Amino acid sequence: MKTGKTAMQQRSWTLGAAAGLGIAAAAIALVPGGPAGEPAHAQPLAAALPAPPADGVMGFVVQEFVPPVIQGADACPQGTALKIKEQYLASLPEDERNRLARKENEPEFTKRWQASVVGPGGTNICSQPDMFERPLLRTVQSRSAWGIDLDQGAADQGCEHEEFAAPDGREGIDNQEYRVMGCTPEWRGKDGIAGDIASGMKQFHASGEWTQVILLRGVDSLVHDDDVEVIYANTADRPPADTKGNFLRGASFSVNDTAPRHRNVLKGRIDGGMLTTAPQDIWLAQTWGQGGARDIRGTRSRYDFRRARLRLVFQPDGSLRGLMGGYRPVFDVIQSPAIGGVGAATTAGIDCAGILATLRKYADGVRDPKTGKCTAVSSAMRVTAVPAFINDLAVPAGGKPE
Amino acid sequence: MIRTRLSSWALGLSAAALAVSAWASLPAGRAQAEAAAAPAQDPNFRITGMRRLTEAQYRNAVADVFGPDIRVAGRFEPIVRPVHELIASGARGSSISPAGLEQFDAMARLVAAQVVDPAHRSQFVPCTPRSEDAADEACARRALEPIGRLLFRRPLTGSELAFYATVAGRAAESTRSFGKGLELALAAMLVSPNFLYVIERAEPDPAHPGQLRLDGWSRASRLSFMLWNSTPSASLLDAAARGSLTDPAQLQAIAARMVASPRFEGGVRAFFSDMLLFEKFEEMAKDPVVYPYFNQDVAQALPEQMLRTITDHLLARDGDYRGLFTTRRTWLNRPLGAVYQVPVGRSQGWVPYEFAAGSDRAGLLGQAGFLALYSHSGRSSPTLRGRAIRELLMCQPVPNPPGNVNFTAVQDTANKATPTARIRLDAHSTDPVCAGCHKITDPVGLTLERFDGIGAYRATENDAPIDVAGGMDGQTFQGADGLGKALAQSPDTTMCLASRALEYATGRPAEDADAVEALMGRFEAAGFRIRQLFLDVATMPGAYAIPASAAPAHTVALGK
Repeated sequence: MKTGKTAMQQRSWTLGAAAGLGIAAAAIALVPGGPAGEPAHAQPLAAALPAPPADGVMGFVVQEFVPPVIQGADACPQGTALKIKEQYLASLPEDERNRLARKENEPEFTKRWQASVVGPGGTNICSQPDMFERPLLRTVQSRSAWGIDLDQGAADQGCEHEEFAAPDGREGIDNQEYRVMGCTPEWRGKDGIAGDIASGMKQFHASGEWTQVILLRGVDSLVHDDDVEVIYANTADRPPADTKGNFLRGASFSVNDTAPRHRNVLKGRIDGGMLTTAPQDIWLAQTWGQGGARDIRGTRSRYDFRRARLRLVFQPDGSLRGLMGGYRPVFDVIQSPAIGGVGAATTAGIDCAGILATLRKYADGVRDPKTGKCTAVSSAMRVTAVPAFINDLAVPAGGKPE
Repeated sequence: MIRTRLSSWALGLSAAALAVSAWASLPAGRAQAEAAAAPAQDPNFRITGMRRLTEAQYRNAVADVFGPDIRVAGRFEPIVRPVHELIASGARGSSISPAGLEQFDAMARLVAAQVVDPAHRSQFVPCTPRSEDAADEACARRALEPIGRLLFRRPLTGSELAFYATVAGRAAESTRSFGKGLELALAAMLVSPNFLYVIERAEPDPAHPGQLRLDGWSRASRLSFMLWNSTPSASLLDAAARGSLTDPAQLQAIAARMVASPRFEGGVRAFFSDMLLFEKFEEMAKDPVVYPYFNQDVAQALPEQMLRTITDHLLARDGDYRGLFTTRRTWLNRPLGAVYQVPVGRSQGWVPYEFAAGSDRAGLLGQAGFLALYSHSGRSSPTLRGRAIRELLMCQPVPNPPGNVNFTAVQDTANKATPTARIRLDAHSTDPVCAGCHKITDPVGLTLERFDGIGAYRATENDAPIDVAGGMDGQTFQGADGLGKALAQSPDTTMCLASRALEYATGRPAEDADAVEALMGRFEAAGFRIRQLFLDVATMPGAYAIPASAAPAHTVALGK
């Protein structure tokens, strides 16, 4: 069931952006990052923004690209999603559960729950998740999530879903990935501290394996510009960082569109200090581990965001902050533990089959014309980018970008 | 004094060389007797100086003699720089400690093992031994003689060749390997003082009866190490053998070819690295919290940027030396691009770059290498910068501060009452004891205060605007641009370079004012072109004359 739609949000992207993202809205724009309900990193006033460079070219390196998690007890009132071990214990009769929970029975307990993640013929719950029937995960129960209204004007391509409201007041937020994954310990973390995914992804983006850059061309004004070319791409160059891991401003990067890296050319516009892009599929590099294709380290996959958009706010300090949203094929969400195989289940306790089943249940985009079922979940990433010099090698000398 | 030291080094090295390399059971008495007999074979054999090879010269020599694929690995004992002099002068008085010699020995063995390994042996052994399992003196001699000539930068004497052939033979017998014997003889050559030191020998000067001049072999080394920072080539040694290097016209032609060669860049790099104290880069440290842009990649790039700027301006563009203080042209790599906050197109390597007019990045003094080197780990230092400019670029020594100075005021960078270096130094310099020297250094260094302790641009310090007014020798100016122009116009900078070039060539501070003046005159007439300066130094007869203080009273014995 679709909820919270307004007439404005049903309009085309161009109209929506023009009408809904005006200067007044930008003046109170809240950018994800802080605790729910708090004004986030910046509230740019268009008047406070500097003029763009004379050549209209602006570059950025993406410092942060992580799922935006809103902390608070209301999101997961029953607690975080259970790990396989906990699920196994919970599935047992009380007497047996109490017996196995005793310290002296730990070897037996470990043997039994770990046996539950493997199947015949060397299969396991993460490498072959379709072969295992698992209970659905605990999902986010609150109405609040960061994200973008992805399905405006294209409802026929999606499936029924319940939408969120963003802490900044925007309705119609599509982020079913957060609904499914937002109660996993890896996302939610503990005691209000971000989960492993936040720190892990920061490392990946600092490595030069996943590092992303944004190049804007044709920027006439940071307040309003109908036509901005946006190159959202990967670079093989490692960002220099300070002692806290923050990327340094003013470093140079070359755009690298040679596999496994990608270069996406997007059509953007600026309204009230906010850059938005028209829906378009976006691919970005994702390499699990670093260096070499030995076992799972160096295994390459990619981010695949369908009908994706950027929604980034220019900050007076020169940085960009905001969101990227799109639809992700459901299996992509468990790509990492699937590559990890049985180890992801027995060591990290990740219930790949349960996650995949839950993702399928909440899938809301990219309908398969044969089955009629949706194959992707709406998703959002928090994006923070700092000024950088971007050398777009895909541009022929003296020519226009391809 | 020099002669005394010379003898003690020679004896010390001789013993060490024999101990570590001629490990075979050579009768020590016989070996030393042979060594002592060697110089006596040549009546003109007079050693007037010994200059230890620098690390770069050692590496270049090995690469030139054996090929660039021969790996040199080890720690080089540093040559101590005498106060206000060049390392080239320090090399003349540099000894090698037992620990340092152990390092040289390990490197020698590593190099020798590679030279005689199956991949390289055929290049250096022109014969097939009668047996691989036994000694073959004739074949060993054929291999060692040409190598020895290149390593010792002169032909081996008969007794030297016999000595190394004996070492090879004894080792081959002990190891039952001709190749191993050759390897050990070669290792012994590489720890010989004849290789580790450039030994300068004198001969009577026919043009000035009663006086001495450098002999041809020593001239070959002088030319090669001064101009190419490496050992003389076989053809240069041939020229020495023909007597060409003592003939002024032929010397002129050979030196002219050498300064026109691309290899002259190596010599220019080595000279400026010495003149500008680049060894300090190796110990430079910055506080990463204060200067997050400073990292290992930047540290490595800083001297290289300066050297690229120097060689590009002076050699590739054949520019006026004075332009090094004003040019905005330089080279950048990615790590430096972040420090300068400018784009660098290539991910790897260096790209040419020209700083924008108005950037105040004027010449070498506007480059992060100079600015970072003459700063403290957490703050800039107008005093260190001013002193470096006076001492290194103008040859004007500045006295050290007295031992009991209170630096509290200048170090208190967080004090809001004294937000800028100028204000802090003003407070510090109220002490008349300090003021005398600070008046010499600070008005020069304060013009560079737009650049912080790693050379990054800043418009303010502690939110206070930075005043870059300064002056030097009665002239006032603003910023690095003004300072660069003042240095370019100062005759002291070009005179300083000329005297340093002469010192670099001879390994002695240039004390002959007339010679420096004459050199300066030719330098000026040539539009301050570095090639002409080095060509003049390489061909001026005075540079090859033996100062009375260095003339030997007796001959000394060197180990093999």
